[in-house]
Amino acid sequence: MSTNLSGKYAIVGVGQSPLGKVPELGPIGLFAVAAKNAIEDAGLKKEDVDGLITRGPDDVYCHHQKVGEALGLNVTFSTSTANGGASQTMAVAMACMAIEAGVCNTVVVGYGRDTWSRTHRTAEAKQAVASRPRTYSEFGSEFGQFGAPVNYAVAARRHMERFGTTKAQLGAIAVAFRNHARKNPHAFMQKPLTLEEYLSARLIVDPLCLYDCSVFIDGAGAVVVTTAERARDLRQPPAYVRGFGFGNRLSGWYADDNMITTGAKEAGEAAYKMAGIGPRDVDTAQIYDCFTHMVLLQLEDYGFCAKGEGGPFVASGALEADGVLPTNTSGGQLSEGHIEGMLQVLEGARQVRREHTADRQVKDCNIALVTGHGGNTVCQSALILGREAG
Amino acid sequence: MSDYNKPLPPPSVESEPFWDGCKRHELLVPRCDRCAHHWFPPAATCPECWSTDWTWARVSGKGKIYSFGVYHRAYHKGFAEELPYALVVVELDEGPRLTTNVVGCKPEELSCDMPVEVVFDDVTEDRTLYKFTPANDG
Ligand SMILES: [Zn+2]
Repeated sequence: MSTNLSGKYAIVGVGQSPLGKVPELGPIGLFAVAAKNAIEDAGLKKEDVDGLITRGPDDVYCHHQKVGEALGLNVTFSTSTANGGASQTMAVAMACMAIEAGVCNTVVVGYGRDTWSRTHRTAEAKQAVASRPRTYSEFGSEFGQFGAPVNYAVAARRHMERFGTTKAQLGAIAVAFRNHARKNPHAFMQKPLTLEEYLSARLIVDPLCLYDCSVFIDGAGAVVVTTAERARDLRQPPAYVRGFGFGNRLSGWYADDNMITTGAKEAGEAAYKMAGIGPRDVDTAQIYDCFTHMVLLQLEDYGFCAKGEGGPFVASGALEADGVLPTNTSGGQLSEGHIEGMLQVLEGARQVRREHTADRQVKDCNIALVTGHGGNTVCQSALILGREAG
Repeated sequence: MSDYNKPLPPPSVESEPFWDGCKRHELLVPRCDRCAHHWFPPAATCPECWSTDWTWARVSGKGKIYSFGVYHRAYHKGFAEELPYALVVVELDEGPRLTTNVVGCKPEELSCDMPVEVVFDDVTEDRTLYKFTPANDG
């Protein structure tokens, strides 16, 4: 027998660190600033926190033990997840489950990284970038398989040949998110981007070019999760957790048709069922955008259009502020900056709190879908946030 | 001393027989003794039925391109002079997919579902790589 947790828990505080080039802080320091801001936003105190979920697994990321040490936290429940970019949305869901199980009441969830500084801070760091990769794996490195873009280039090529998807359609995603970013003063990429500039950009792994790839920045985001009952007495309007779901196609990106239909299909079906809604009820989507093509795939898998129709859907202007599904309204990882989806959790909460100025606020926003994707391409997680508990 | 300057990751315990097969110009993949499923990369159990009884089977080496991406940026200096080069996913007739390179064909001539067949490239004295080339029909 399963219990429906829909509407029982909420995000009650959101916080972020300075974003962009922040060479004076490492990932733990960035996280600490974000966590402090999230707690203050909620109107809570350090003493109220009895749970901590961060992204692991190693010192490149925000391991919970190091974060907890920096924040001087003693909690009943803490852990770090290892689902890559799917971790952050999953961690919010895990916080709800932990509170439901009675092991804690108020959980800080977040992630931070210093990716810009890590690659620019010193001459050695710059050199490390120039001479990467530093690790090789068989059945790939021998043939020149390096870096993340190739996985999405291969997926995009297959999608193009099967469904007629075009480069200009992928470009519509990059352009829409840049338009959103230009209204967000904290976004890293502020320069206008036209479709013509997109189409003439330098190729990275064809069919993907520079503007198909997310931008690396320094930054952190954190949220506070607690019970809906407690949320009603706190400072901010709650962003209720209406649904969540997961889909991990661990058999591999290159197996079956997993790069055409991803685990987002299972994640979405579960999240919609839990929330008692469908894709038509979603007012804004914050879609994990490591690469443009991953947005297109998820829009199909989360049911905003049929499989194969993602290209025409995005080219219709659907993702723009005045489109049918304003998406990645803070600029996303393609233009605001890549913090493994954490900033998109914050943006989903802010949209249902309706706290933005009119130019950025999705009108009458009741439901936000936030998605995560990662773990070397095979993990998906979905989170549905609501202005109302049900 | 070889002047081959591309990475050659050492075989794992589970992949050593595969690379030994390449040296003999034989393409071997694990085939389940119970359900006849072929899989790749090598692993100790059949991913279909979890049988631990399986055999290294020599396969036809024929297949088709599932998809590919064309590198325009060098992530490794050994590949800098190859740009643009394609990383290709080949689906063997027996089912498994392998990442590889296709030789005897320019990147712009590649397409999904193109028929290909295996060729072997003795890149050093110790190592032979499996690659593919457009299939000769007839
Ligand atoms: Zn079997």
